[in-house]
Amino acid sequence: MRIRRILTLTGAMILMVIVVALDLVRSSVDFQLSGLIVARDLMVIGSFSLLYFFLELSDPSKTENVVRRMGLILIAGVVVTLMMSAVSLLGDQGSFEAKEGKLLPLGFKAVFLASFVTFGFALLCILLFRFLRDLVLYKRRRGTRRNLIIQMVLMAATGVSTIGLDPLDTSVLTSVLFGLTCAMIVVNAFRLSWIVYLSKRGKIFTLVYGFFLFSVLTVLNALSHSGLVNQLLLYYSHPVRELVGLTLLFGNVYYGMAFVSTLFHLPTADAFERKATEITSLHDLGKLITRVFDFHELIDTVTAMTLQVCEARECWLEIVHRQRDLTKGTADANLHASFTEGYWIQVMGMKNIGADEIEQLFPFGRQTIRDLLIQERKALVVDDVATDRRIRVSQENRTRTGSMVVVPLISHTELIGILYATKETEYGFFKDDVEMISAFADHATMAIENSRLIDKSLERERLVKEMSLAQEMQKRLLPQRLPQLPGIQIDATSTPAFEVGGDYYDVVHLKGNELGIVVGDVSGKGMSAAFYMSEVKGIFQSLSRIYSSPREFLLNANEVLSGSIDRRSFISLIYAVIHLQTGRLIISRAGHCPMLLVRENEIGYIRPSGMGLGLSEGSTFAGAIEEFSLQLDPGDVCVFYTDGLTEARNGNDEFGYERLVECLSGMRNKDTVVIKNSILESVRSFTSGQPLHDDLTLVVLKWCGPGG
Amino acid sequence: MSDFKVLQRENGGVSVLELKGYLDAHTAPKLEDAIQGLIAAQRYSIVVNCKDLSYISSAGLGVFMAFIEDVRNHQGDIKLSNMTPKVYNVFDLLGFPLLYDITKDERDAVKKFVEKKK
Repeated sequence: MRIRRILTLTGAMILMVIVVALDLVRSSVDFQLSGLIVARDLMVIGSFSLLYFFLELSDPSKTENVVRRMGLILIAGVVVTLMMSAVSLLGDQGSFEAKEGKLLPLGFKAVFLASFVTFGFALLCILLFRFLRDLVLYKRRRGTRRNLIIQMVLMAATGVSTIGLDPLDTSVLTSVLFGLTCAMIVVNAFRLSWIVYLSKRGKIFTLVYGFFLFSVLTVLNALSHSGLVNQLLLYYSHPVRELVGLTLLFGNVYYGMAFVSTLFHLPTADAFERKATEITSLHDLGKLITRVFDFHELIDTVTAMTLQVCEARECWLEIVHRQRDLTKGTADANLHASFTEGYWIQVMGMKNIGADEIEQLFPFGRQTIRDLLIQERKALVVDDVATDRRIRVSQENRTRTGSMVVVPLISHTELIGILYATKETEYGFFKDDVEMISAFADHATMAIENSRLIDKSLERERLVKEMSLAQEMQKRLLPQRLPQLPGIQIDATSTPAFEVGGDYYDVVHLKGNELGIVVGDVSGKGMSAAFYMSEVKGIFQSLSRIYSSPREFLLNANEVLSGSIDRRSFISLIYAVIHLQTGRLIISRAGHCPMLLVRENEIGYIRPSGMGLGLSEGSTFAGAIEEFSLQLDPGDVCVFYTDGLTEARNGNDEFGYERLVECLSGMRNKDTVVIKNSILESVRSFTSGQPLHDDLTLVVLKWCGPGG
Repeated sequence: MSDFKVLQRENGGVSVLELKGYLDAHTAPKLEDAIQGLIAAQRYSIVVNCKDLSYISSAGLGVFMAFIEDVRNHQGDIKLSNMTPKVYNVFDLLGFPLLYDITKDERDAVKKFVEKKK
């Protein structure tokens, strides 16, 4: 890239030097070699072409900062005008001798001056043309580029048509081409789409610059046609002179048109700029929604933008809460009950107005325009605050004048907020303002929804973590290890239906070489059942050490629980105590599923009378609880479980008590872990892998005999 | 699974609620509404006919427990009747027969109300 620039610049300079040298020689020696003249002309064209390319490479076209470039061109134009004026006024008018259509320079001074003047004009025209080309192509339409190229071709052709001509000669062809070029210049002068998008300030500058450029180029055009300057140009290069003339004409016409067009655009400049700002603001707001998670920051931005873009005096946003959504209660100081029942208002994002003022203007306890909006759910425009009946102007607010707009924020048919904007002047809001504010309100709605969803999502994540934690903790409430004691084999499992459950089992080694086994089931499932379950564990762990009699334990447990358990809930429990040496089993049943006893010759349920805990107190309960005593034979197996097992479902069918008995037939001599797994497998295959709909607990105990 | 209906009628001055289907945590509110309605209408003599009740969970049992005290405080009662063996077993395991009148047939339960009045 740099090489090309260096090449073009040096090439241009070299050619120019050669031309000057040739001219110098020609001025002293009369050359008639037309071939050399043509070559010279071509070299001139070549040198300026290379200069054009050099500038193209150095300074690629930019569409930004049109106004600034205009200013620069104006300065360049003024400079060149001054220089050429100086030449015209001060230069020797008799520098050339016109003879037979040719111009003969009188002296070296004329030659140098010709080069200088032509270079000056040509450089200006190259810069001017490049700029004009950029302006024409700005926001081009179909055919724009084609038209510009046609003009360039015609310009080149006009220039080329003068090659070989004597400086003072003209040809019909040249005139025709010149005329056609002028036509294209007019066509291209209508490409003024860059004007609309200027800021108001830019438009004013364009007006001024345009005017002066028009003037400057007119002067230059006139200069280039008159007297000495004309001769200097013609002498140096007829083609270049034509091109200079056409470019200056192009500039003249174009900037003249630009001036007039800008003049007509000025009245709408303000509105246009506002529209552009509105669109940018909407853009920004849209982007902000995806980026900012802080709710307050978002609301603040919405009201700030509304204030700025609509040129409002005051702006604020009210978040609307429905009664049912207020889980945290209404203790929040920023929450006000509105006149309309069931609606609570939270004022936020206040700009240029305070909470007190808002409350004074639209008291929450009285019916105001706020309630009208809650009812109507569409934008309300108050053209004159002082006289509008919807705004009851209280004593304090009599000084308030102007206009205002109240816009609803609606999400999924629900009103979630209200946006207010006021202006100092009456009738300050028109249809497009209301639409604009509504657009902001829509963005705010999205932002609020987003923020709420994120909050909900974070809350849910937190709850999931809490549940997971609860699950972990509850697992620890169940025995981590079952006691390995001589004389017994014991295995157990418990699976909650949800993350946490209401089933409980425990095994304690009591003094007197006894083992206590308890299995329980809290009515219901989930969190509330889990809470009772942990209470039962506490009661069991403490009371079982005090009351080794199962019945005594249950009576006392019932007394403790009746204090805290709610009316609808109850707990079923079965408690058995086995003497490890003698095999004596004492059992009591508080409404729980009966124990399954697997003896050598029979399998059956042990079902002492009983009643669930928490159902009644005192003597009724005591009278209901029976205590059974029986003697185990070595190898006997006891199975404790909850109704999650017997009520396991397959369609409308339940696993039931009979199937459990079937499971145990022939299993007595197996290890308890085998028995346990076999029962679980039966249940699993019965339910065909369907998830449990209730907590399931299973404890299998085998008494192996004294010292076994 | 959540097929449950409560039909209400009168029998000799006593309100009878016929339960049909599956009574669990999901369907229990229907029974609750029915009993609440009767209490609001000050009809405290209630018989619950469980002939077509196929299943009851602890949530269903909890409904009775929620209202029994209030009903009995107004000299009324909730009596249960016509249970299938399976459903009766659920009540029996928990000791409900000691707390509630559970009769074989609706007529027996109604008779108990009449006798009490005398």
